[in-house]
Amino acid sequence: MEPGDVEFIAEKELVKIVPNFALGKIYFISGDVGPFSPGLPVDVPLWLAIAIKQRQKCRVHPPEWLDVDKIETMKDDEIASEFFTELPNPHFCEVAQLLLTHATDNIPNADLLRTLIKDIWDIRAAKLRSNIDKFVKLQAGHARLDNLSQMEINTIRPFLTASLDHMYQLRISQSYTERNMSTQ
Amino acid sequence: MDDLLNVSGVSNDDSDEEHLTAAQVLEKLEQAWMNERLSPNLMECKSQIVEIMLEQIEEMEANIQRAQKGDLKISLHRLELDRIRYVVSSYLRCRLEKIEKFAPILLEREKSKSDDEPSKLSPEEFAFAKELVGNVDNHFKSSALKHMPRNLQNIALHEITSRPNLDHYVFLRVHQREEGVIVDPETDDHAEDRVDLEVGAQHLMRYQPIEQLVENGAVSLI
Repeated sequence: MEPGDVEFIAEKELVKIVPNFALGKIYFISGDVGPFSPGLPVDVPLWLAIAIKQRQKCRVHPPEWLDVDKIETMKDDEIASEFFTELPNPHFCEVAQLLLTHATDNIPNADLLRTLIKDIWDIRAAKLRSNIDKFVKLQAGHARLDNLSQMEINTIRPFLTASLDHMYQLRISQSYTERNMSTQ
Repeated sequence: MDDLLNVSGVSNDDSDEEHLTAAQVLEKLEQAWMNERLSPNLMECKSQIVEIMLEQIEEMEANIQRAQKGDLKISLHRLELDRIRYVVSSYLRCRLEKIEKFAPILLEREKSKSDDEPSKLSPEEFAFAKELVGNVDNHFKSSALKHMPRNLQNIALHEITSRPNLDHYVFLRVHQREEGVIVDPETDDHAEDRVDLEVGAQHLMRYQPIEQLVENGAVSLI
């Protein structure tokens, strides 16, 4: 999968917007959205929010977790914890990234948030690398990766799965040779 | 809604699809798209879902035609259609890529399977695979094989094409609890390795042990 595809999936997450126009319910194939009335917050999928925002017809309400205090606590938790902490949204990085790009003016402290989110991403990436190292050294055939986001999985996928495939082949042929040796 | 999806995923009854709303069908299509993109081999064709979605798109397009131009609603509807069309074409293109790669093997499987086993190819895909294999075969014959000694002229394409690597590692998320899935076969220094798949958990393991679970919707690839 391309990173763009993961972002595409993340764009289905709901966000709150405050429209400045009035419009009845829209009956999308993916579900009904609206009605829109000026000043009243309404939940819409992220792709729709961005489209309306680009037309300057709404304000985006950043999700509760996109807040300097909350993100700072998250970062501290991430540093303190040995494992991956639970993300406030399965598409945390993509949603934050998209909102910070397209609705910068509606998010207080956007620059600070951007740095903090990058920090969290880096901390998690480092954790992920050291965990992969452990996993590969153990020669395990299986791993459980709760709380890992799709974007994170996608970034390590090409490298990790290819090497695991090779290792599996080697392991299988090794045990095959050993068995042959012992029967002889 | 999850229940509905799982129920229709497990049973192969076609009538199930009729009870789903357009949004649910779309969700199933997106699921099938992700699975197809991430699985090493060709999965069962969800042609019914694709057809329902194409009908929906057409209907929506007709509605748009009738509506006034320049309306905000219309441009938003267009945007949604583009998104859905992307998923449909990416899904079908991904299948075509796999069919091109494994055509001789897929055809061989179609020949040898029993009648009640569902076909992995839609009729159109089957025709495509057949034509492709025929053309490759002809090409080999006319450019090289006919100049070879007679006893070397036969070539079995399905024996020389590479097979999908079912031992490929995949990431997956669990939707239905499943116990004692054997992830690693028994070897001399390892006993066989079993895991329980709990709802909501994410795992990394070989594709082969969970192939059936992906097909019936108990897990999905991520």
